[in-house]
Amino acid sequence: MTDPVTDLVLLLLTGFAVWTGWRVFRVDSMVRASFSLMLSFIAVGAIGLLLSAPYIGIATVFMMAVEMMVMAIFMVMFMMNPAGLNPMMMVHQHGVSIAAGLAAFLGLGAAILLSAPPSDPVPPQAPVVAQLGHELLGPSMLIFETAGVTLLATMVGAVILSSRQGRHGAADEGSRPPGLTAGGAPAGRTPGEEGGPGHHHHHGGHG
Amino acid sequence: MTGLLVLAVLATLLAGTCFAVLLDRAQPALVAEFFRSRVETEAPDRLNRDLAPAWYLALAAIGLSVVPFAPGLALIDSPAGIVIWGSCEALIVVTVFLHGWAPNAPFPLIGAYRYAALALPVMLPSMFVLIAAALPAQSLSLIAIVDSQREIWNVIRQPLGLPLFLVVALALTLRGPMDYADGADIATGTSAEESGAARATWYLARAAMLVSVSALAATVFLGGPLGPLLPGPVWLWLKTAALMALTAWLGHHVARPPPGRMLTLLWIALLPLSFLHLAISGVLAL
Amino acid sequence: MTRLARIAASAPVPVFAAIGPGRQAETERLLARPGLRRADTARDAAILLVAGDLPEAAAPALARLHDQLPRPRVTLRWQGEGADETETALTGAWRELCAGGPDEEDRLPDAPTNAWRGVGPHGQGGEGMMGGTPYGRPMAMTGADIRDGLQLDRYSATLGPFAPMLPPGMVLDLTLQGDVICEAAVAEPPFAQPAEADAPALCAARLLRLLGLEKAARRVIGGRRPGALWITGAVPPGLGRIGGADLRARLAAWLADRPVTVPAFDLPALLAGAEWCEAMLILASLPPSELIRAARRDAAA
Repeated sequence: MTDPVTDLVLLLLTGFAVWTGWRVFRVDSMVRASFSLMLSFIAVGAIGLLLSAPYIGIATVFMMAVEMMVMAIFMVMFMMNPAGLNPMMMVHQHGVSIAAGLAAFLGLGAAILLSAPPSDPVPPQAPVVAQLGHELLGPSMLIFETAGVTLLATMVGAVILSSRQGRHGAADEGSRPPGLTAGGAPAGRTPGEEGGPGHHHHHGGHG
Repeated sequence: MTGLLVLAVLATLLAGTCFAVLLDRAQPALVAEFFRSRVETEAPDRLNRDLAPAWYLALAAIGLSVVPFAPGLALIDSPAGIVIWGSCEALIVVTVFLHGWAPNAPFPLIGAYRYAALALPVMLPSMFVLIAAALPAQSLSLIAIVDSQREIWNVIRQPLGLPLFLVVALALTLRGPMDYADGADIATGTSAEESGAARATWYLARAAMLVSVSALAATVFLGGPLGPLLPGPVWLWLKTAALMALTAWLGHHVARPPPGRMLTLLWIALLPLSFLHLAISGVLAL
Repeated sequence: MTRLARIAASAPVPVFAAIGPGRQAETERLLARPGLRRADTARDAAILLVAGDLPEAAAPALARLHDQLPRPRVTLRWQGEGADETETALTGAWRELCAGGPDEEDRLPDAPTNAWRGVGPHGQGGEGMMGGTPYGRPMAMTGADIRDGLQLDRYSATLGPFAPMLPPGMVLDLTLQGDVICEAAVAEPPFAQPAEADAPALCAARLLRLLGLEKAARRVIGGRRPGALWITGAVPPGLGRIGGADLRARLAAWLADRPVTVPAFDLPALLAGAEWCEAMLILASLPPSELIRAARRDAAA
């Protein structure tokens, strides 16, 4: 059966994950919030280690450290109060969010307690990483490969869309392609003529 | 055996840190720095400022713990040893960022995010090179990687690996061409507002990290504890010391480009090179 | 002296140089000697070397700089003595500091430059979530980015007369977005320096220090080859182009011991849009006499 030390460690890690998750919304500093979230994910990764999923657990730590680092840099770039030197209110729609959180907690809790998750322990010498590899490149190959390529395409597309360097000039000067005949009118749609679905006015940074 | 391995890791860290300080010829300056007083900036993040060197040291210790001291013997014997090292690299970037963010001053903050902007891309060639080394071993475990080098070392059958990994080593230990966190053009960056014991401890943590990253490079590329005549740990120490000397030499003798140029070189030269290296190693391993 | 104090005393003497008019060449040559080390930040130094006669306007900045050195610290004035005497004085002062010698008190009271206590609705000086001067620091607000069309935080600061990476005496009013300089204005031009400061070895050494090659800089001042790799290759081509020659060409000329002249240029235009490291390299790549002329033109305007 499960060993009491493992149970204790699991409880501590769970408590730590929940506490740091709560701290994300209580600290005034967006940088500290990013790294509290990272700590929460690190605790979840450690739980993955306890569940004999070493690759998944450690890869969670790896990915979350990088992601929260990027988030912290974005906080420093754009947020006008990344250090939390002014008190901040970071939660919107209190009532709705509390209700949504309770509903999610009750739903997930019911799902876990009322269903029958497997309880056969993994044999100690099982090659779990190799089995994971076979699964990723065997039965689940289609899902992971399409997800990976889609993510890559999204990232490349986002960088290109946000880049100032347009194909025919600077993007914020309304780069226009050259004409179809030498010296002729530029081909394609002229920017600013059609309004699009509706103008979105930028409301500069919220707390 | 675990106790012995813990002792071995700590002793290696201690001796290696002393050796790194000797390589920099920095012993008197280090002693002098401990006698100076600490300075305070206004509204710093005290927790991160005081703990950043400790976390850096802890990451160096964890990185060294996955390295096998004898064939088949490592303190952390995980089937995903390389991924543990990868998470250590990612957390190092976070630690250096926090070290620069904590003093609430402009130059440390510039050093912090400049370093993050460069160290995150540096992690990509690092991972590709380590994965390429894992291919002949058919395992992510460092013990298996050492075993796969019994006939031939990885530095010979995968020649691009060690040079690329040395670039990573320079970035993780904040040395020379990759020292964007503590550069002279930003008044020593993340250390610009520190003096006394804090400054000295940060330097010691960087020296400990040099030990750790050199030991890993020695394991993955130079066969680690493998070698005739001498016992395993002694070979590991000799190879680690050689790589530490090489990394320190590169740190003192190669110029540091402005961050924009280094970013271009990373994304346009080093990353495709590491892709190529991985592709060739994959074909050879098939 | 205890044994540890003796070991500490054998370290290279950490000196922060506050260079006055006319003393740049001598101070740089003095601090390139073995046994002395030029600190890149005031927090790393134990001795403040005030070289030459500083103008009255720089006295408050000197007091602020003095208080930034961690204690125990000592100030040494170098008025006209020979370099060897000053070296002996510096080494002697460092030995005394290591042995627990005299210390210097702060010159300014430890008070914030912007009053913040009790200001604002929460008493920390800020207004609302994103405004005011919390803890005395003006909150950086967003402003248009000059390169990518984003709205990034803008940080404005004045970089003072004794900044180690600027020419001595230069005061710049900078607005930064991250580490990119959006606007630069010369508030005070650098102190006047003689022609010796334009010497190729000294100019090359300034650039080498900014490229992270401290030992190579010392060797170049000592007249030897730098002994480092990839020096001109590390500089991006086309950086700091003035009248046909870019930074790389000027550095290569100085390393070959040839003097460099540049035509007249506009300093703020050269710095605007440059990333911090590139901007500092550009400033160091200009011969001091030309830089002082351009800065005086800009400060007068």
